Amino acid sequence: MTLTLNVNGQARTVTVSDGSMPLLWVLRDLLGLTGTKYGCGIEICGACTVLVDGQPEKSCDLDVSSAVGRKIVTIEGLSPNASHPAQKAWIANQVPQCGYCQSGMLMAVAGAMQAGHHGTSISNEVQNLCVCGTYGRIKNACSKL
Amino acid sequence: MQTLTKETMDRRSFLGGAVSGLTLAFFLPEFNRMGELDAATGGTAVNSWLQIGADESITLTIGSSEMGQGSFSGLAQVLAEDLMVDYARVTTVQGGPTLVSPAPVGTSINTVGSGVIRGNFWKMRDAAAAAREMLVQAAMTSAGDTARTNFTVANGIITHTPDGKTWTYGSVALAASALPLPTVVPLVPDAQFRLIGKTMPRFDIPHKVDGSAIYGLDIRVPNMVYAVIKHCPSFGGTLAKTPVAPAGYQVVPTKVMAGTNRGLEAVGNVNAVAVVGPNTWDTWQKAKQLSVSWTLPANAAQLNDAQFLADAKALAANATPYAVGAANGPGTLYTVEGNAATANAAIAGASKVVDATYTLPYVSHACMEVLNCTVDYVPGVKCEVWAPTQSAKSVMSLAVALTSLPSDKILVHTTYLGGGLGRKAEVDFVSQAIQVAMVVGKPVKLMWPREEDFSRDQYRPMALVHAKAGLTASGQVLGWSYRNISPSILGQRGAVLGPTGDSQGSEGSQALPYNFGTRLTEYVTHPSQIPVGFWRSVGASINTFAVESMVDELAVAAGQDGYTFRRGLLTDPRWIAVLDAAAKMGWNTPLAAGHYRGIAIGTAFNSIVAEVVEISSVTATGLKVNSVSIAMDCYLAVNPGQIDAQLTGGMVHGLNAALYGRQSFVNGAAQSKNFNKSRMIRPSEMPQVSVTLIPNPGASDRKKVIGGVGELGVPTFAPALANAYYAATKTRVRALPFFPNATMSD
Repeated sequence: MTLTLNVNGQARTVTVSDGSMPLLWVLRDLLGLTGTKYGCGIEICGACTVLVDGQPEKSCDLDVSSAVGRKIVTIEGLSPNASHPAQKAWIANQVPQCGYCQSGMLMAVAGAMQAGHHGTSISNEVQNLCVCGTYGRIKNACSKL
Repeated sequence: MQTLTKETMDRRSFLGGAVSGLTLAFFLPEFNRMGELDAATGGTAVNSWLQIGADESITLTIGSSEMGQGSFSGLAQVLAEDLMVDYARVTTVQGGPTLVSPAPVGTSINTVGSGVIRGNFWKMRDAAAAAREMLVQAAMTSAGDTARTNFTVANGIITHTPDGKTWTYGSVALAASALPLPTVVPLVPDAQFRLIGKTMPRFDIPHKVDGSAIYGLDIRVPNMVYAVIKHCPSFGGTLAKTPVAPAGYQVVPTKVMAGTNRGLEAVGNVNAVAVVGPNTWDTWQKAKQLSVSWTLPANAAQLNDAQFLADAKALAANATPYAVGAANGPGTLYTVEGNAATANAAIAGASKVVDATYTLPYVSHACMEVLNCTVDYVPGVKCEVWAPTQSAKSVMSLAVALTSLPSDKILVHTTYLGGGLGRKAEVDFVSQAIQVAMVVGKPVKLMWPREEDFSRDQYRPMALVHAKAGLTASGQVLGWSYRNISPSILGQRGAVLGPTGDSQGSEGSQALPYNFGTRLTEYVTHPSQIPVGFWRSVGASINTFAVESMVDELAVAAGQDGYTFRRGLLTDPRWIAVLDAAAKMGWNTPLAAGHYRGIAIGTAFNSIVAEVVEISSVTATGLKVNSVSIAMDCYLAVNPGQIDAQLTGGMVHGLNAALYGRQSFVNGAAQSKNFNKSRMIRPSEMPQVSVTLIPNPGASDRKKVIGGVGELGVPTFAPALANAYYAATKTRVRALPFFPNATMSD
């Protein structure tokens, strides 16, 4: 079936075998937006977090058919030139190590900010996993947002 | 002075996109997986390049891998110091064996053993200084002045002081390339360091906040198909019958190759099938639905935790000593140091004896990025491999073996690694991807679903440690006896163990600067053939838990606190300084009611590290880690901010393993297959961390051994936690993890 999605402000048409393909794999394999990561596939780690109508959603278990008609924002569309305050804070605090989880972290942070959270209350909203253990710098980065 | 090579035009033209200018090729030895300098340096092998372009570019091409440890930027920092240029001018490029023509298969490109900075520090400085002096020589020729003292260099500008005339590096790069390599290369004196020892930002971080960093799983090649691996659930199992492929899909059996065989996974075993299809998700669904018939190993019923523990206990009591010329099979007892008779006599004569047995489970690596590899194979033409690998060298060797192509037709691209942790030094996943690509005739990206990544790991070895020590009535240690029974990592890689056994198995347990009176350290090869491998900090993560828990038990027996007891027992001033630094941060400060502390010290990769862990809220199912104070002496700190990040991250790795890390087996099949049964802390559970680095005594002494950093946060966490737990509960945790049944949900 052919579906049209709103991804990063653009209409994107994809053809899938059925509507149950998770949004994660549509983004990565069909649209080439590889900034969104696969970590666990069971909604635990959060590496696949994107914004759907402004809310952080784990895209590994979100049927693509249910994302039709909603505004999807991925790390690639978070800001032009990495200018989102969270991205700037991540650079200033030298947060990433391997970096694999950080797209999901940043999208979760962006969602929390959009919901009106500030400072430490942002990091309280973010419960994604980071095996490198960058949580301390994540909290420091969030504390100034 | 190291072996430097000035590049010929032939080599330079092979570099393709390289700009004209000065190119120096050199060999960064790094460290091989045995933890020793690689012998294959030859005089011609190169794996790294420094290029000074006529266009003012400065490019450093590095063969090692970036998996989060920040060593690319660290090397650039060292380079910029002695090249006397602005750090931001250096561009680092990921290299690989293919940049060498012809590619020497023996060239070491491994990223293991916390080795990139400590192994390459002097090589990088020498190369940078040689390039700088060649550029100055070219400027001297241009000026017609042969007095070097009439020239100064600052910020990439050469100045002829008598007349103030200046040259940029780019303007003399071509002329410099015609000059001979200098024989004397003065390095920047320590007192003039602008960069070494300073916290500098990493180059890779901007790419890791906007989604543009390309990891292995992000590789996309035109006309690529997707393969999803499905292994036999049990180690040692083999394919009974090739299943019929679903319509529109292919099923490709894959076998174990020489170099990827580990324990039960013998060379030639067809232990997996790859399902090949049009995208990851649809292919993965077909792989899940595919019914595959496997033949389990004959001893499958014995491949479980209870049997492994029973075998270990038997060997704690009785093991056959190593003998020259004997088979020395599994269960052999190796004497690492000391003498059994003297140690036992000393302990027998003591007024107090402490006897304790510690056990550790198998632990998975759980890198955030699952194993994956992309291969474009064109028969007779090329085999191009993209892999998140810690060992481009092994990838190259394997590709040669599988394809029979000459090495100059094999291209290896090392991508960013979404964590390596030792697991990505193995190449089993690369082997599978090449095998599948050779069958399907199209470029293939092969992925291990998370469940396969957990189930088919090469785990941190399980271990049982029996320790015994005797003390006088006043608390002086008279004798120490320590036996670690653990599957051999090196043995599973074909090493024939000598009289002292597996160096990886005993690391962290020997040559400890404690005044133990007389001591005995033994290592016994546990017979389990579940695949084991290098897990961040390797043997140190096992032995430091047992040693430092035992030392704490001795402190209790001696009636002293953990810090004071260690302080009296340590004989090495560097260890004492590290212990004192940790205590200054976390041991001597006031303690809130209901809070408890533990301390531990240890060594790995030539660094010394101590941690103080403070906990509260201890219950049967959990506890809260409030703060961790980490002190380290790595002799030389290139980038303190990155060292802080690595020590903190390593500590979290040790914390996750200590509290929750366990892989269990039933019939040879792993039982924890995803994060739901492999709990880790989340951001809200992060303790406060403080780090102290023992002040750098100066970088000018080549005879001093530089210590590693990347794995050092791990080993002392678990014992410091166990010691804090004892302080809180008067109960000694001798079996890891603390909370084996913890789970995690969304």
